[in-house]
Amino acid sequence: MPMLDIKNLTLEIQSSDGTIKALDKVNLSVSSGEIRALVGESGSGKSLIVSAICGALPSQWNLTADRMSWNGENLLSMSVQQRREVMRREIAVVFQNPQASLDPSATLGEQLEESIPDEFVEGSWFWQRAQHRKKTAISTVHKVGIKHHKHYLSAFPHQIPADIGQKFMIAMALVSQPKLLIADDPTRGMEPTTKTQILKLFTRLNQTRSLSILFVSHDLLAIASMSHSMTVLYAGQTVESGRMKHIKKRPLHPYTKALLDSAPSFRKDLPPKSLLPTLGGSIPTLQHLPIGCRLGPRCPRAQRACVQTPAVRKIHDHYYSCHFPLHMEKL
Amino acid sequence: MIQILVRYCTLFVLTLLVLAIMSFSLAYLFPGDTLENLTGLVPQNEMQRAALEQQFKLDQPYIFQFFYYAGNLLIGDWGYSFTSGLPLREEVGIAMPATIELATYAMLMALFVGIPLGYYAGIRSYSTSDHLINTASITTYSFPVFWFALLLILIFSLQLDAAPLSGRISLLYNIEPISGFILIDILLSDIENKTLAFKDALSHLALPTFSIGAIATASMIRITRRSVIDVKHRPYIAAAISRGLSSWQIFFRHILRNALLPILPLMAIQITTLITNAMIVETLFSWPGIGNWLIQAIYQRDYPALRIGMMAVSTVVITLTILVDLFNRMIDPSREKYERATV
Amino acid sequence: MPQYSLYDEEFHPSPWQRTWASFKASHIAMLGLIMLAFFVVCALFAPIITPYDAVEQNIDGLLIPPSWLANGSISHLFGTDALGRDLFTRIIYGCRITLGTAFITVVLAMLVGVSLGTFAGMLRGVRSSIANHLLDALMAIPTLLIAIIIVAILGTGLVNSMWAITLALIPQFVHHTRSFVRAEMKKDYIVASKLDGASKWQLFVHSILPNMTEMLVVQGTLALSIAVIDISALGFLNLGAQSPLPELGVILADGLDVAYLAPWNVAVPGMAIFFMVLSINIVGDGLRSALKKRVSY
Repeated sequence: MPMLDIKNLTLEIQSSDGTIKALDKVNLSVSSGEIRALVGESGSGKSLIVSAICGALPSQWNLTADRMSWNGENLLSMSVQQRREVMRREIAVVFQNPQASLDPSATLGEQLEESIPDEFVEGSWFWQRAQHRKKTAISTVHKVGIKHHKHYLSAFPHQIPADIGQKFMIAMALVSQPKLLIADDPTRGMEPTTKTQILKLFTRLNQTRSLSILFVSHDLLAIASMSHSMTVLYAGQTVESGRMKHIKKRPLHPYTKALLDSAPSFRKDLPPKSLLPTLGGSIPTLQHLPIGCRLGPRCPRAQRACVQTPAVRKIHDHYYSCHFPLHMEKL
Repeated sequence: MIQILVRYCTLFVLTLLVLAIMSFSLAYLFPGDTLENLTGLVPQNEMQRAALEQQFKLDQPYIFQFFYYAGNLLIGDWGYSFTSGLPLREEVGIAMPATIELATYAMLMALFVGIPLGYYAGIRSYSTSDHLINTASITTYSFPVFWFALLLILIFSLQLDAAPLSGRISLLYNIEPISGFILIDILLSDIENKTLAFKDALSHLALPTFSIGAIATASMIRITRRSVIDVKHRPYIAAAISRGLSSWQIFFRHILRNALLPILPLMAIQITTLITNAMIVETLFSWPGIGNWLIQAIYQRDYPALRIGMMAVSTVVITLTILVDLFNRMIDPSREKYERATV
Repeated sequence: MPQYSLYDEEFHPSPWQRTWASFKASHIAMLGLIMLAFFVVCALFAPIITPYDAVEQNIDGLLIPPSWLANGSISHLFGTDALGRDLFTRIIYGCRITLGTAFITVVLAMLVGVSLGTFAGMLRGVRSSIANHLLDALMAIPTLLIAIIIVAILGTGLVNSMWAITLALIPQFVHHTRSFVRAEMKKDYIVASKLDGASKWQLFVHSILPNMTEMLVVQGTLALSIAVIDISALGFLNLGAQSPLPELGVILADGLDVAYLAPWNVAVPGMAIFFMVLSINIVGDGLRSALKKRVSY
């Protein structure tokens, strides 16, 4: 039983050129205690999915789903109050740009203390509560690996480096002791060393607290080693999803294969100085999405049937949507 | 912090210096004979001219003249008006507070009505109430202040007879100017029927304050609304929503302060507009303020008065502007240099 | 890989087309534009539209009420004033003078302000800090004060009031240009053209100016509404245009003497100024939100 279960999530945006399906029947699920990677190129709708889960989409956009449930409760039919309660206590989000996601006019300490749920604060008088809030804030900050809490808790967002900011965002996410952490491309634009630190932090949190993580990224290399399962997104459609090791060993969808092939470290047989295989063309813009399988025009295996959107098929717990999947002849 | 203070002080002194130079050079720029412009006297013969020139230091090089002038400004010897013969310092001392009083009440109106309405419209942006507020504010903002004041006079003074037409207070009451603010002076004074006098002063104040205040309020609403809408779409608000904060928490903790920060520097510009409007409205209501005084001075070609009046008004405005700027600099933590919002 | 491009029909509207599209989408903004266009047409074709001469006096027809009142006549649409001049004609000419001078004032102020602002924005170090702060402080001097001083030096008149208002508008343009240029100078495309060896002049003409036009248009409409109000205010206070000249503020001041007898002499010119400013403000607002929408997508 997955904690977060999304089936056929569709997001329609009204624009001057008519309605655009920015997300088309996306399926995604996160089980308890796993790290799920959500991979796709930029513009494939990863961040939109995150916003849809948080409920932070503009109200004029039309969001529909056959199922979008959190621990069996339907997120879409919830009242605003219940939804907020879920977001406050059970799901936490770390956004890609810490500098922009922190209020520039409040100190980090204030913002961190603000996100501590009231139930966690002990003491009956306000000064006791304030003190306890402060203590919780300091210990949380230590947990994510910031040592100089005194300096950073009283700093303003523009005074801190990006990696501290991101750790802070993680601290703010953790302070409410959530069950699911959604990390929306948290390592974008970071140096490799700080990136590794942040990724290690996520892995540790997953192992020590059995925290489920939905890790959204375009950086396949970074998350291949840490995540248990993966969902691949292309232009707003889920292409393939399953256990990480299955997908790595035997991708069924041509796009997944191309994605894996484009990363040299997955290819042991790659001769030196050879060209990396790529798909021709580029990602279609939102205004000009092809019908049917959106990979169609770029796909090396495309045939006439591809103008129909392929249904989701499955082999064990490996889901894919392709009319002409790879590696099928071996089965 | 000290560095900022020093910088602002230097700026203030420099600006005043530039103003003093400008007002000093006015004596030579005014049409006609410099000596006559300065003294108001027409010398009968060369002897008298030489004597006057010596008295007003006109025979000395410009630079000495300037220092003499600046020194006189500093010690408070501002010269005499041609028309009334009174010391200018006294006249400005009465007229200036009257204008500032008017502008202060209008500013208070703009702050206490304009900012809350602007916040309300911004939070409920693109709803019916927002459209109503927005339409009302852009309409009011487009009124030429002098016509608006005229309409108010026509409606409330002439048709409804609800407010007095002109002046600061009825002639029945004799209020000693202490602070220069009529309402405060009435409270400080020891006349018998204080409440009646207070009411009378209020009714005199109502129309001029409203005509300036309405326009200031309208532009305040527009500024605030835009700033709030701008802040509402920032990623940190989305982040706050996704943390499950309630909309009250988001408003008070995150929107309120961040929307206010870009408004503050704009207040400095508002002050200028406000004083200009106050000066125009004064002439309509015969309000004994600096605007009325200056315009009378120009009709009479009272050059020393113009010179001092210009210096006084710009000093007041610039002091206020720099203070607002400094205040803004002190409370805004995030930016080295802030961006100004647009009107 | 297909040999043909599937996305060829993609049409990318230019920034101005997109601005125009979202401007058009707002009915209120379009209404404002139509109103403004009406005033502009009045201003341009005043001699053709108007039935009478603007300064021609007619002793036989003093204070004729406007045509919609019972004793009014259709030959004088808005009635006549105390000297028997046709108010409609005077208003149309008034639009011409007020709007025209305001426009010239704004263009002048923009030219001076942008060049000064660019200099200030490209300056560095102490010089820039002094120049900027001084400009900021001088920006605070009220328009009316500048006008009074100029009138004191040069005497009253429409041209002198134009100088005063130009002087008063310049600091705004300087301020906005300066902060825009400063922000822009930090961006990468400027660095790129610097590396290509562009001189400061080339940087300004080819890189900064094209990006600045929109800001200038919005600022220009704002300044235009301020200029209209200021010119008529100076005319009204008898510091600007002088009496026989049909300037809206002057017409209003003339009407003030007979406000009891002939209230339309106050109402109509006031309405004209009000609607002119309103239409300019609406267009400015529409432009601004259209630009904002474009930038935010």
